Amino acid sequence: MIAVAGSLLIAGIANAQTPSDPEIVGIVQTADQIDISHAKLALKKSSNPQVKDFANQMISDHTNLEKSVGDLTKKLGVSPAESDTSKQLKQRAEQETKKLNTLKGKDFDREYASHEIAYHQAVLDVAGKTLIPNAKNAELKSALEGAAPLLQGHLQHAQQLQQSLGGR
Amino acid sequence: MNNKRQQARLTGETASPAPHAFLNFWTHVAALIVLGISAMAHNSQHTVTIRQMHFDPSQIRAEAGDVIEWKNEDIFSHSVTANNGSFDSGLIPPGSSWQTTIGKPDTIAYHCRPHPNMKAEVIVQVPGEHGHHTHADAQGEKESLRWSPPNSPDELHPILVNFTAALLPLALLSDIFGRILRRQALHSAALCMVTYEAIITPLTAAAGWWWKIREGQQLHGELITVHQWLGTVAAVLFIVLALWRWQLHRCAASPSWAYFAFAFISLIALIYQGSLGGAMVFGH
Repeated sequence: MIAVAGSLLIAGIANAQTPSDPEIVGIVQTADQIDISHAKLALKKSSNPQVKDFANQMISDHTNLEKSVGDLTKKLGVSPAESDTSKQLKQRAEQETKKLNTLKGKDFDREYASHEIAYHQAVLDVAGKTLIPNAKNAELKSALEGAAPLLQGHLQHAQQLQQSLGGR
Repeated sequence: MNNKRQQARLTGETASPAPHAFLNFWTHVAALIVLGISAMAHNSQHTVTIRQMHFDPSQIRAEAGDVIEWKNEDIFSHSVTANNGSFDSGLIPPGSSWQTTIGKPDTIAYHCRPHPNMKAEVIVQVPGEHGHHTHADAQGEKESLRWSPPNSPDELHPILVNFTAALLPLALLSDIFGRILRRQALHSAALCMVTYEAIITPLTAAAGWWWKIREGQQLHGELITVHQWLGTVAAVLFIVLALWRWQLHRCAASPSWAYFAFAFISLIALIYQGSLGGAMVFGH
């Protein structure tokens, strides 16, 4: 399940073969917003304190990351641009949101944790293989490299959450 | 004070060329006593900075009783959570800090709860134990190598303790060998050493009392009380021993078995006094 979700996400983003800097910023901001919106949904639907803690952390971290990216783009004079990749990300996020909305209780918690693992893994892969190598501005490249440990931390946290929920 | 502690450590480390095992042993014991007491009296503060999803430094060496502060200079909230559950900061918002006092000697691995890939550790050492030197230690040692005359009780006491600890066993051995080898020169040496012992030990005790009065609130309660009174009794014992030895000398008599027994008991008291210092340093 995770592998399938992850591969779908990667396939979606992989189309952006050589994204420009504005497109990269657009992809990062979209990815941030998607994770925040899923976390808000988790806060609304879950009653599990661990899931709520995780969701709160995602909102806090990705909001700060978004602000940091926003500050950087202002400084660099780069406006985020929409791309096929960001559009596909949004489409898949809507599908996932619909799926999460149909689930309740433990089923919701497990799907949320499972999706967070796949999502962060996919974003990490794409950041390492596509976004960072194609970033032309050195500061943007450095910021993307700096975000990788955050995504790795979220990935491990999501894996711990899944384990605690009794998932695989 | 940190310099003084390092000075004490250097005293211990550079005492190895001492000609006799007892001297070597007691020199180290004396240095350890001072080092332990200084460490207990003056705990240090350490700082770990959290930035860019890392604890910096990722490994920190502290002594039991030290305070460690974590400053969150990252843009995300982080926690400082010990793997063994001994401490947990909760979430530290960006720009805030959190601190804790480190307890018993141990190696404590910790992590950030929201970001489990952020890992680091605190190595808590016994106060005064500096097996691994940091750059700051090296700088401190360089400063400590510069000679300055001792002018405070925490500098004078350990210096005088060396003489007290060395002279009595050497005097006793000198008399024993003088008797076995029938060498008067060895008896004369013993007489001199017992005399010096009787002169120096009250000064050692006085320096100890001075130190206790000045920093008593911060020293190790029960142990230091026993240590100070046993030291005072030892000073009196050594004066009695010296007077007895002079009496024997005036009568041109060799030390009697009774004298040897008294000297041996004094030596046991001195060894026990050293063990109290070890207890203060190592906490057992």
